[in-house]
Amino acid sequence: MQIRPRQSLLDLWRATVAYSYRDGTWTPDGRAEPNSTSDAEQLLCLMYPASQVAAFKLDRPDETARDMREALAQFGGAADIPQKLITALRDYMERYTTGSNTPVFAGGSYLEPRVEGELLIPEQQRLDIVDSFSMSITLSLATLGFLKVFEKVVRRPAVREQISELEKMASRRLTAAMIGLLRSFTVHSFAPDSPAGRALCERVNQRGLPQEKIVAELHEALARVRVGLAEVTVGSGGAEALENEEYLFECGWSWGVVKDAPRVKTGEPLEQPAGVAARRPFLYFTVVALDGILDLFSERTRILDLLTEEQQVFMRYLQIRWDLTQQYWSTLAGFGGERWALEDIPWRTTDGRESDYYSLLVTSVTVEALVQRRAGDLDLARVARVLDELSARGRVTRRALEDDPAVEMHVPGVRLNLFGAEELPSGEIGPDVVWPVSDFATALLKRTIRVASLARGTALRDQLLRLSDEIWAHLHRRRLTSGLAHGLWDDASAAFPQVKSGDQAPSWYLTERVMECLVVVANMINEDPLRNDRLRETAQDLAIEADHLYSQELLRGSTDAAAMRNELDHLGRRLDRARVVAGSKPGSSIAILLEVLGALDKLAAARQSRQGDPE
Amino acid sequence: MILFATSDKGGTGRSVTSCNVALRCALQGHDVCYLDFDFGSPTAGAIFHVDSAARGITGGRGLHSYLEGSVSAPVELDLWRHIERAELRPPPAGAARLVLLPGDEGGGEFPIDDEMIDRCQRLLRRLAEEFELVIVDLSAGRSYALQLALEVTARPALRAVTTRWLVFHRWTRQHIIAAAGLAYGDHGIVATGVDKGHVRDQLDDSVRFVRTAVPAPESSQFAGLLPTQAAWLQETDAELQKLAARRRVGRSVLLGSVPLDPVLQWREQLILDSDVRTLQIANKETNAALDALAEDVLNDDSWEGL
Repeated sequence: MQIRPRQSLLDLWRATVAYSYRDGTWTPDGRAEPNSTSDAEQLLCLMYPASQVAAFKLDRPDETARDMREALAQFGGAADIPQKLITALRDYMERYTTGSNTPVFAGGSYLEPRVEGELLIPEQQRLDIVDSFSMSITLSLATLGFLKVFEKVVRRPAVREQISELEKMASRRLTAAMIGLLRSFTVHSFAPDSPAGRALCERVNQRGLPQEKIVAELHEALARVRVGLAEVTVGSGGAEALENEEYLFECGWSWGVVKDAPRVKTGEPLEQPAGVAARRPFLYFTVVALDGILDLFSERTRILDLLTEEQQVFMRYLQIRWDLTQQYWSTLAGFGGERWALEDIPWRTTDGRESDYYSLLVTSVTVEALVQRRAGDLDLARVARVLDELSARGRVTRRALEDDPAVEMHVPGVRLNLFGAEELPSGEIGPDVVWPVSDFATALLKRTIRVASLARGTALRDQLLRLSDEIWAHLHRRRLTSGLAHGLWDDASAAFPQVKSGDQAPSWYLTERVMECLVVVANMINEDPLRNDRLRETAQDLAIEADHLYSQELLRGSTDAAAMRNELDHLGRRLDRARVVAGSKPGSSIAILLEVLGALDKLAAARQSRQGDPE
Repeated sequence: MILFATSDKGGTGRSVTSCNVALRCALQGHDVCYLDFDFGSPTAGAIFHVDSAARGITGGRGLHSYLEGSVSAPVELDLWRHIERAELRPPPAGAARLVLLPGDEGGGEFPIDDEMIDRCQRLLRRLAEEFELVIVDLSAGRSYALQLALEVTARPALRAVTTRWLVFHRWTRQHIIAAAGLAYGDHGIVATGVDKGHVRDQLDDSVRFVRTAVPAPESSQFAGLLPTQAAWLQETDAELQKLAARRRVGRSVLLGSVPLDPVLQWREQLILDSDVRTLQIANKETNAALDALAEDVLNDDSWEGL
């Protein structure tokens, strides 16, 4: 593997601070005008590694590593770093809170009009977006965990007060984001012979079966999900959509709070704005929501006890949706037996749009489902082939043609129509809104590494790691290399010659996603290396021979001479070491054993050379 | 400001580092005065290259004699006139006052009495008004000198004066534990100070640590190590960091860290720019660390805790 996460993350930290920390203050700024998602992404570039990778933690200034301190030297010393972060986080939380103390998750400058030249009205720019909910969950949890550890070493009342205020703000933001996700979840049902129904059946029909047969199979495969969904009622449920047993359905997250979503009962005095989003799941926002929710029931969240009682209740509600959605999409992806629907690229959505990007999104859900059920290498290998093909088709690992349509997935990105955003709660009508997404390469890398870390066979793991290296090489090329933002992303023209070199300001959207990939790599490297039985058996066989020869040498009384005694003592200690590592690192054990066997044979050979001599 | 330099163990480089800090502060334009309270072994003169007071001053005019009441004022040596180093004669431009109050040659440790406390308090008060920085180099361990310092600073007459404490320790397991003990342990600085009337939190906040003779695994000094030695050193260093954090002598209360340097180690002398640039006997990292320490000593921000 060529990716060096520690070095790359340090470089990214250095670049982030150099760009963001000017004249002693954290400046939210980038390619897009500051907005609730982009600013969170910018902060997460520091906060996420600090919360997810042990070596990068900043919450104990006494233990901050030297290279971390140096990378963040602009903030000051190790004790200054946490305080500067607290100030930046507080500014963020305050900036995105209304006068009535309700956190804001507005799409802002990330939203674009569908038709170039039209202008979005301010009310549209204020619409809450699932991306922002999800980023806020991750950021709030990172903040809360960070404070929980940091506050233990703080005694100064002024700092303690700042901590407790930020804690309150982060916790309120977390609650609001969870409520937002509860109100953006949706179930969309349709008759089997409607256009959506036919699209769904075509999608999963990999064996040319008649429509009725497919519908019946779908009903059966999804029966458990359907039963589960009927009980999902808090926030925007889907029970009423499933009343008609004949209807097919899909579930997941829309782009924001859905139309007519009821309010969620909570002890916090939060405003809950009326929803306008179309009541149908978007693959992209579904993946985004699933990733954010995953942080809620991570080990870290549990160990540090970051959730309040109410948040734990919401977490359970979200977990049920998470499970059902995961199950739904991975069932669809794996439909078809011999050939999975997922393997039939590109994926086609029920509204008839198709793109390699949708295939990648379905792969993302499937990968996480495979992680959950600790899938075997056979399933993983199939997903690996899909990832491989997507990276070639997406022109990540192959050169693009001139006018290659695949390049559009990267720049300007896939444009998702935010249905419903044109009809506002106030009755005003605005232009159609789109949300451009351009994370193809990073999404590909993240899932490739996830699958690689699951693979137990060396061949499969090796294949996936090589693919990760290739995707990383592509992403690495796309770094900005000049100006204030050098070391950040994204300069797509470096990878796609037909794209004009453009904005030199950083895209926090992509930079944050690159950072996430590096964190996944770092955590994979932290685990024990792959061990296989072949290697272990070889180590065992060698150990038996080495041990035996060593005992023979001792039996021969070789330890009389001091030189021999020292050598044999040394070899004895090496044998002990080989035994210690045999279980966890059989390869290393073999290397030690070979060294010992070689040394023992030198003694034997020296002795043998004497045997032919005359009396 | 009165700065007390202490250490639990001998041989930490407390005196040589303090002398270097005093020199640098004076060179930066701050009036500095240095009191040799290392009663058992008053050798500040030797470090400052003052031959006439290498092992304390003769003639019964030093700090011992003053505290015991046999002279009305201790001798004050203007170091710019007494330092026997060519590079510092005449004193560099912009240098402020640098004065040494040496101990008596042949003097030793002695128990303290009330009159001694009065005399000490009068002296410190006068010096604190006259100088920006008064460095008091105390004997190692829980000495009479330390008792005296804690006693005096608890008196109302000195309450208005900022007093701070530096604990010097080498970067080893035993030294870390010892330094933490001296600061926070039974009969340590904080516990004794509270007994004598100090406010616990205030005293606690005024204690900082200086690490001396620190091997920096990343420096060129260690380029010649075997890879195995380097790996071991890195691991040991990380262990020590954790130990220091657990004992509350971690980086958040660290004022400075002086690398291992042959000149400090074997010669115990002032390090001048010429030693680094011209003679090239001292490392530039050492010079930089001492500069930074001198700057931080006088910078209120660096004394602000978490």
